[in-house]
Amino acid sequence: MTTVTKPKSRFARFWDSDFAYNFRRSPVAMVSFAIVAILVISSMFAPLFATMNPFNPANLDLLNGFTPPGTPNDFTGERFLMGTDDQGRDVYSTILYGMRVSLFVGFAAVMLGMVIGVTMGLISGYFGGWTDTIIMRVADVQLTFPSILVAMLIFGVAKGFTPVEYRDQLAIWVLILAIGLSDWVQFARVVRGATLVERNKEYVQAARLMGRGAFPILFRHILPNVLSPVLVIATISLALAIIAEATLSFLGVGAPSTQPSLGTLIRIGQGYLFSGEWWILFFPSVTLLALALSVNMLGDWLRDALNPKLR
Amino acid sequence: MFRFAAISALALTVASSAYAESFRWAGTTDPQTMDPHAVNSAPVLGFLNNVYEGLVRRGKDMAVQPALATAWEPIGEGEGWRFTLRQGVKFHDGSDFTAEDVLFSYERASSEASDTRSWFAPVSGVNVVDDYTVDILTSAPNPLFPSSIANWMIMDKGWTEANNAARPDKENGNYATLNVNGTGAFMLKDRQPGLTTTLAPFAGWWDEAEHNITEATFTPIDNPATSVAALLSGDVDMINPVPIQDAARVDERDGTKVIRGVEARVIMLGFGHEADTLKYGAMAGKPNPFQDVRVREAVAKAINVDAILKTIMRGSAESVSQLVTPAMSGYSDANADRPAYDVEGAKALLAEAGYADGFSFGLKCPNNRYLNDEAVCQAVTGMLARVGITAELEAMPVQNYWPELRADNFDMYLLGWSPGTFDHEHPVRFLVSTPNAEKKLGSWNFGGFSDARVDELLPMIQSEIDAEKRQGMVDEVTAIYQNAHAYVPMYVQPLVWGTRDNIALTQRPDNFFILRWVTVN
Amino acid sequence: MLSYIIRRVFQSVLVLLIVGLVAFAMFTFIGDPIDNMLGQERTQEDVERLRERLGLDQPFVVQYVKFIISAAQGNFGVSYEQGRPVADILAERAPATLELAAVSGLFALSLGIVLGVFTAIRRNGFAANLIMGTSLIGVSLPTFLIGILLIYVFSVELDWLPSFGRGETVQIGGWTTGFLTGSGLRALILPAITLGLYQMTLIMRLVRSEMLEVLRQDYVRFARARGLSERAVTFRHALKNTMVPVITVTGLQLGSIIAFAIITETVFQWPGVGLLFINAVQFVDIPVMAAYLMLISLMFVAINLAVDLLYVAIDPRLRT
Repeated sequence: MTTVTKPKSRFARFWDSDFAYNFRRSPVAMVSFAIVAILVISSMFAPLFATMNPFNPANLDLLNGFTPPGTPNDFTGERFLMGTDDQGRDVYSTILYGMRVSLFVGFAAVMLGMVIGVTMGLISGYFGGWTDTIIMRVADVQLTFPSILVAMLIFGVAKGFTPVEYRDQLAIWVLILAIGLSDWVQFARVVRGATLVERNKEYVQAARLMGRGAFPILFRHILPNVLSPVLVIATISLALAIIAEATLSFLGVGAPSTQPSLGTLIRIGQGYLFSGEWWILFFPSVTLLALALSVNMLGDWLRDALNPKLR
Repeated sequence: MFRFAAISALALTVASSAYAESFRWAGTTDPQTMDPHAVNSAPVLGFLNNVYEGLVRRGKDMAVQPALATAWEPIGEGEGWRFTLRQGVKFHDGSDFTAEDVLFSYERASSEASDTRSWFAPVSGVNVVDDYTVDILTSAPNPLFPSSIANWMIMDKGWTEANNAARPDKENGNYATLNVNGTGAFMLKDRQPGLTTTLAPFAGWWDEAEHNITEATFTPIDNPATSVAALLSGDVDMINPVPIQDAARVDERDGTKVIRGVEARVIMLGFGHEADTLKYGAMAGKPNPFQDVRVREAVAKAINVDAILKTIMRGSAESVSQLVTPAMSGYSDANADRPAYDVEGAKALLAEAGYADGFSFGLKCPNNRYLNDEAVCQAVTGMLARVGITAELEAMPVQNYWPELRADNFDMYLLGWSPGTFDHEHPVRFLVSTPNAEKKLGSWNFGGFSDARVDELLPMIQSEIDAEKRQGMVDEVTAIYQNAHAYVPMYVQPLVWGTRDNIALTQRPDNFFILRWVTVN
Repeated sequence: MLSYIIRRVFQSVLVLLIVGLVAFAMFTFIGDPIDNMLGQERTQEDVERLRERLGLDQPFVVQYVKFIISAAQGNFGVSYEQGRPVADILAERAPATLELAAVSGLFALSLGIVLGVFTAIRRNGFAANLIMGTSLIGVSLPTFLIGILLIYVFSVELDWLPSFGRGETVQIGGWTTGFLTGSGLRALILPAITLGLYQMTLIMRLVRSEMLEVLRQDYVRFARARGLSERAVTFRHALKNTMVPVITVTGLQLGSIIAFAIITETVFQWPGVGLLFINAVQFVDIPVMAAYLMLISLMFVAINLAVDLLYVAIDPRLRT
């Protein structure tokens, strides 16, 4: 994807590769990719696409609250594509802004988990011995310990150590920390396994004989060769992280309602399921579903594409 | 003729008992104990009103009625009150109710270990005159005493002592935490804390039963969506509360209906009066604008209460001008007007106070204490933004909220107040008088509002027997706190209960659910 | 061997202690139980007296050490909310959670295997693709939303199944069971599906990919070549060989089922330990929260230890 901006020759090479060929042949992969791209771009440039900034209180008129999609409001006569919520916020705009939070939390958490996990996995697999024992013991325990509880624990402790006046701003970062720290194990295990295989291969031995240090070997030589399973896990983790964020928000330990994510919007919307204001729940849920589903589909396709045996 | 009437009356009883049925209801919180003196909270006292009774009780209109006492009269010139007790009353275990039980219950409820102690602060002693007469002496004339003890429930001395529960034990619990021996219309049949509590009618009750329930089961359900689903699908017969947004749905659906009322609870905004500087926002550390009465008045004018009531409260609530609702005694008719919604006026006041460019500050709000509390705070934030002042809202669960307020971590906050005595003196004592730990005054006056005249008037209001004079003083206090905009009272919290169509019941403004007024048809 | 076991047990105890310490650090910030325990008319003096009596005025490390010492003697303290021993409360609530976890685990395992095998055999069939696609919807929606939607459809609109609780239960010794009454069984259906759906998808996808892997192996091809029926090949040879990873994963997922029960129990008002925990968080009932977290971590550490020791028993190379 970043390759698009690179010189043409490289792009052409990429376009002709097996990987790209596989992609062009799979309608599921193409549709999923298109959906993810649309969602990511529209939320990244939310201010351009949204009709208002729903989180600037000065923009809101409470009397616009609970306007159904497409019909004029009883008091103000304004119309909204996807209706409004209890505060008179345009649901369409809240989704764009909310998805921004969800995607940011998701990407950042996966990044964090990936960086920690890959580093730990490389170190563990390459050095072995005591280092390996300690890292893998911690990983074992955390793997059996449910991620949602781990995230709740981290959330509780981290929130306690933040000064009162910064709590709301920091809630997002605490979420990233909680979700990221709770899913590094997957990465560590896979990378460790791959490293165990790679470290005995000739090219590593050669590098070692040339007197290169352990870390250059790990990151320059071994890492590129263990990346494809990492990519698959990262994609699936992204979907999981977005859902985990929604679940934490449902339990009341997630994003604050002044800076809501898709999960917070769903939590707010589920209060209106019985009362007939279906749009407050429906549109954010469908967006979350579309996002998670297409990311999952991409992950599925990626796994098959990178594991040619199963084709 | 007489015989015919007797027979038809009998037939009627049989018929109604043939229709009588078990009744299931759900609420948000489980009463945390069955001990009527251990905890002073609405869920506990409301529930225990069905199994225990006091000397007096409140009727359907909140008026004080005789219960275990048949009559009461003042002693001398306000030295106390003499209660004449009802004869022939039995506890659930069959033992007799006498004056000894009243004395014992006074000692128990006013003991160090009891949470209901503060009710007896004006009491100097209790004397047993004979088996069915008790004198309760007060240190100063106390005209409101009989109506302040409707929730003081009488326990059986013998049963309590035999079971080692002579004093409440909140921390470790005792026999009375899980078991009940009252005189009320219902007996405790089964108690599983946090899960279900089952009551059965008490055959030996002294009063005539209005209800036709054979068994009643209470289940706490804390997820509002789940409890609405339970009512709609017929798994329970009554829920309290119905989330405001679901009221219309419950009403429209065949088989269920909504019962609306007005609770005694006033929802208001409070300010930091004492704090010299702002604690939150871009201007933290700068002088506190809320010390200027013009700024407080500007806030009062900036809030469009009608819009909040129309949308968030869906027309089920009413606006209010003072710290009590018109239904409470001592409501000040002379001060019934609340500041009108006036954006331009608010801006002018801010400009006059030197804040034409606005300022930012921290607004604290609970998110699970009052109906739609967080949504109301968000709406307030939006309305204040329109007059140019920026509220940085932080909403939190109530378990974090009270410690935060006690630590003075706010510039402005949301508070709801329901007067336990149903009298205007109650919020004045707790919210308006200068905080004074020793005299137990102003203990919920977090912002530290202080006015010498209010402090002077409060004890006079407490001991004034002449109703007109008393109201005059209450009117004066009301005018003082209104003109100072000590708080911004916004609206009265609505009561929204949902039931199956075949249930008839009475909704009391204190949000107590009284089982003996329920009939299943 | 013995030294290995001792070392592992020692490590497990250390993990438990650290989890407990982290948990206690969290309680300090979750709120203050005092206002829940005292009424509206409490005074500042009452607040301080009660704080002192509960030991809340001490630093959390001191509170933690006290808790560990009495927990080691089997005493988890008294619930602030209910005024009863925490151990009694947990014992009362455990059957509800265990029965729910067992049923949803069974649901996930059986349906997961059946669908996994089906989608593997009919790899490119329309039905298999449909199942695979639908299964992704299951993992792409948060559990709480699925629960609420199920209640909305099956309880409120169709009125087929109860919306909350366990229905009627039967007491056998210290165990309450919902298996023996019609209403108890009906009440299990929606929560079990909600809780098991995610694991079901996981198992189904695992079985499918393991099956695909196994079906390519030589011995399966050989079995086919020998003229064995497709059925025998699938079930007697292929499926049997996929079972090892499936059982391992399922065992490890047991923890997730119990943990996610928190959410399911909240949505369905299921009277188990998860709901107890969430209520305890709301009330800041520290003894209940502490006991729950310690018990859960004890369970996970025990599962982990058992798995490890099992590996040692199987793999002699580890016996150093």
